[in-house]
Amino acid sequence: MFVVFTAGIGVLFLLGHGRVRGTLEEETRTNEGLRHYLIPRVVGQLLIPFIILFGLYVQFHGEYGPGGGFQAGAIIAAGLILYALLEGEKHALNVVPQKVLLGMMAGGAILYTTVGIFGMLLGGNFLDYSVLSDNTVKGQQMGIILIEAGVGITVTGTLLAIFHAFAARDN
Amino acid sequence: MDILGLFNYWVFAILLMIGFYAVLAKKNLIKKLIGLALFQSAVFLLYITVGKVKGGTAPIFSATAEGDVFSNPLPQVLILTAIVVGISVTALGLGIVVRIREEYGSIEEDEILEMDRQ
Repeated sequence: MFVVFTAGIGVLFLLGHGRVRGTLEEETRTNEGLRHYLIPRVVGQLLIPFIILFGLYVQFHGEYGPGGGFQAGAIIAAGLILYALLEGEKHALNVVPQKVLLGMMAGGAILYTTVGIFGMLLGGNFLDYSVLSDNTVKGQQMGIILIEAGVGITVTGTLLAIFHAFAARDN
Repeated sequence: MDILGLFNYWVFAILLMIGFYAVLAKKNLIKKLIGLALFQSAVFLLYITVGKVKGGTAPIFSATAEGDVFSNPLPQVLILTAIVVGISVTALGLGIVVRIREEYGSIEEDEILEMDRQ
């Protein structure tokens, strides 16, 4: 997860925040998306809620089976990128603004590290979930859910930030 | 030795060499990145194949599956991380290519080197 986080920071450094080039009138000209095409719009509107729902399922099922934060983050980011392609980038940035994306990138990583260090403060190792609660199993479940949430938030934020950084370029 | 029984390893070798060739011989930077991704995929395939146990199921813990044979989860976990690294490398590489295109107006390696020499 920290690899993706670092890559996201690198891309943002390389390409700027995505707001550097695009002036207002250019935005209104180019960022129409696929709104005038009926079939992509209808299919997309049908699919996007289910893609995000599936992402949440993978997120919360990751404790017991295949799945987890990274895959869930990638799926949710894919759903939101589909929305950005359909409705245009401007609408997508209204739904999840750039600031929120940066906050998600940093916030997920901070949540991850905080849980790890919290385990250390309670007398365990770094990322030792067992000490988080009196009940060992309960503590492990809590730790995994929190960690996966952190990973999911960071991955979603980073992938979307990378997408917007690239998409804002050809304006 | 049964040649078809080693199908995965043949695909691994061929993919690896295609990727290697693209990274070395292609002048186009995007094609180089595609070659890098192919190279990575070949390595993923090798690791997953090595970890496969004949007749094994997916390595998911369940209470009813006592004594079941399952594939080795360790290479799968390693490759999961490697896939993440692969995505990051591709994203960063493409970002650099975009910047190069903006500065030089070209993504052909020889043209860029030519411009640098002048």
